[in-house]
Amino acid sequence: MNLAEGVQIVSFGILAALMIAAALGVVLFEKIVYSAFLLGGVFISISGLYILLNADFVAAAQILIYVGAVNVLILFAIMLVNKEEVFKPISGRWIRKAATALVCVGLFALLSTMVLATPWNLAAPITAPESTLILIGKHFFSDYLLPFELASVLLLMAMIGAIIIARRDFIPDIEAASSDQPLQTVWRLPERPRELTPTQGSSNQRK
Amino acid sequence: MNSGIDLQGTFIESLTDMGISPGLAKTMWIPLPMTLVIIGATVGVLVVVWLERKISAAAQQRIGPEFAGPLGVLQPVADGLKLVFKEDIVPTKSDPILFTLGPILVVIPVFLSYLIIPFGQNLVITDLNVGIFIWISLSSIAPIGLLMSGYASNNKYSLLGGLRAAAQAISYEIPLALAVLAVVMMSNSLSTIDIVEQQSGYGILSWNIWRQPVGLLIFWIAALAECERLPFDLPEAEEELVAGYQTEYTGMKFGLFYIGSYVNLVLSSLVFAILYLGGWDFPIPLDRLASWLGTSEDTAWLQVVTASLGIIMTILKTYFLIFIAILMRWTVPRVRIDQLLDLGWKFLLPVALVNLLLTAALKLTFPMAFGG
Amino acid sequence: MFKFLQQVGDYAKGTVQAAKYIGQGLSVTFDHMQRRPVTVQYPYEKLIPSERFRGRIHFEFDKCISCEVCVRVCPINLPVVDWEFDRTSKKKKLNHYSIDFGVCIFCGNCVEYCPTNCLSMTEEYELSTYDRHDLNYDNVALGRLPYKVTQDPMVTPLRELAYLPKGVSDPHDLPAGAPRPGKFPQDIIEATKAQEDSEKDKAEAAQ
Repeated sequence: MNLAEGVQIVSFGILAALMIAAALGVVLFEKIVYSAFLLGGVFISISGLYILLNADFVAAAQILIYVGAVNVLILFAIMLVNKEEVFKPISGRWIRKAATALVCVGLFALLSTMVLATPWNLAAPITAPESTLILIGKHFFSDYLLPFELASVLLLMAMIGAIIIARRDFIPDIEAASSDQPLQTVWRLPERPRELTPTQGSSNQRK
Repeated sequence: MNSGIDLQGTFIESLTDMGISPGLAKTMWIPLPMTLVIIGATVGVLVVVWLERKISAAAQQRIGPEFAGPLGVLQPVADGLKLVFKEDIVPTKSDPILFTLGPILVVIPVFLSYLIIPFGQNLVITDLNVGIFIWISLSSIAPIGLLMSGYASNNKYSLLGGLRAAAQAISYEIPLALAVLAVVMMSNSLSTIDIVEQQSGYGILSWNIWRQPVGLLIFWIAALAECERLPFDLPEAEEELVAGYQTEYTGMKFGLFYIGSYVNLVLSSLVFAILYLGGWDFPIPLDRLASWLGTSEDTAWLQVVTASLGIIMTILKTYFLIFIAILMRWTVPRVRIDQLLDLGWKFLLPVALVNLLLTAALKLTFPMAFGG
Repeated sequence: MFKFLQQVGDYAKGTVQAAKYIGQGLSVTFDHMQRRPVTVQYPYEKLIPSERFRGRIHFEFDKCISCEVCVRVCPINLPVVDWEFDRTSKKKKLNHYSIDFGVCIFCGNCVEYCPTNCLSMTEEYELSTYDRHDLNYDNVALGRLPYKVTQDPMVTPLRELAYLPKGVSDPHDLPAGAPRPGKFPQDIIEATKAQEDSEKDKAEAAQ
């Protein structure tokens, strides 16, 4: 074992330990912000593992997409609605926890048997490709073309959906304007009716 | 094109000659360029801080720092020393762990990005395959640190500043990446070395500044936004948010933010110089000059001159861009948050996409000029 | 279709216009960099206050007749005049006089209306103290000789821009007697006198 291999094994150990610890933290922390930040830690350690596997582009993309975009969005959502709430203790909560733990252990067992059952081909030495980038590009446009395009269509759909939800205020209700009785159109999303400007009477009522 | 000086090769060779195994020699080499670049980046920050203060003063018809050292060059050192010795206060009811971790998370990715900055053919820490992409992905970690420090300070200004910074960073990442992508498409590689190589040959005429005028502007605007420089400095807009996510910080933790922002500015300028201004290239093609003078490319003195000229050119271009950024600071007023997001999403993004498509079309029609 | 193109064209025009304005702004900023700094290195250099500078008010105890005009003309009745009627001399006798410069707005009305000229304006403007009550000057403090910039050996006095010779904008290293632009009041009086004299001579000659 030369120096490079030693460094690899040590860094693999550190990364794996970090990842497992961070992932456990994500699940077990009571404070949701900590979970979100630790999720970023999980993503970064995964990208470290990718680097150890010679997948430099995937590692960088992992950081850019998962840490830079997904995790930041999660944090955004948490921080914009972060309310310290004290939940009522539910009776028999341990049943729920036990059920969750059972499912988790079951999943873990399933995955471990899969890992153990798969005949891993460790004998053949894998040579690192000259440029992972070109290889990925070739795969994207040959045998993985359909999933690649499907993923982009999915993203497009998500984007259109987001735009429609965000801009629902601007949908003109022509029918309601033409006739006195308000027509309930199907595509209209439910929205809380706006409060009318208070008149004299209402201001007295408020007191 | 000759490869220039190979410092690493010579270093390892001389060590192996002394009876040290090649593996060990390589290991001994590894920390050298790293420390050198970290020191260089820190000194670069000191220079930029001094420049910022002096140029700002000149633009406002003041003198600026004057008494600390000749022309006040020691002023940033004095500032730094002050920050080091200042009491480190963690506000009550804040989250001490996240509060400490935030500035660290902001600074580390910026310094890591220096891995891929070349100062010459072989004067780079690592010539990664994914080169410039690593810079883009690393710079996307910083918003997490900003959110963290904004949240942990337990202060409404900090939280708003952190959220603004993160929103700004992720919206301007996209046009930035698209502008870089157009350059990458022309050079057929993400590696910073290849990008500079592709621009060399005809001196100033072959730089990307002529082939990517639109991409250059997009990149510059997006880079200013990423560095939170003045037209886009609303995460720390004094009038509204006190100092944004830095409000509760003092001492060296604040110093880390300060260093981070300036290192980021230098880094963005360096990347700009590499992508559009030909990196270490001299405006006149040097090898032609050498052959015209009748000296061989492999002459020792010529190689030394070329290497040092390369470093000087890179730094000169970088500081020219920093100068423009500082001038920009005293020229352009701050944009509002809605204007900022409008500019990012509704203007820069479509323009960057059109620029990308145009570059692709031009590459197909004129493969000679646009990197076939 | 064409309307859309029109919009795109307008937008592009607006963008070019904005870029042009930013360029103009940059050139203005750049131009300012070549101008002379207006800095006065304050504790070592000080500007000489102008002729009608309204600084700390000087008070001469012996001239005061306790008429209280200064109190009446003061917008906030600030000066405190403590006097008593001396029956033997049948005159008011001044005991104390004080002005609080923490409240004074330096409008100069008291100086203007003082019948005996016992109040006067000085060039002194360095009034900072650690306690705001220290700014309440009594007749002793008010009677101190004012500090003069030109008489301080530690300070390089600098002339203000309006007092520099014509065409000079740097107050450093001026020759001692360099006159300010324009005429001094006495010059104007002399000139008008000379003119009147010559006119009178002419009139006499005509007669």
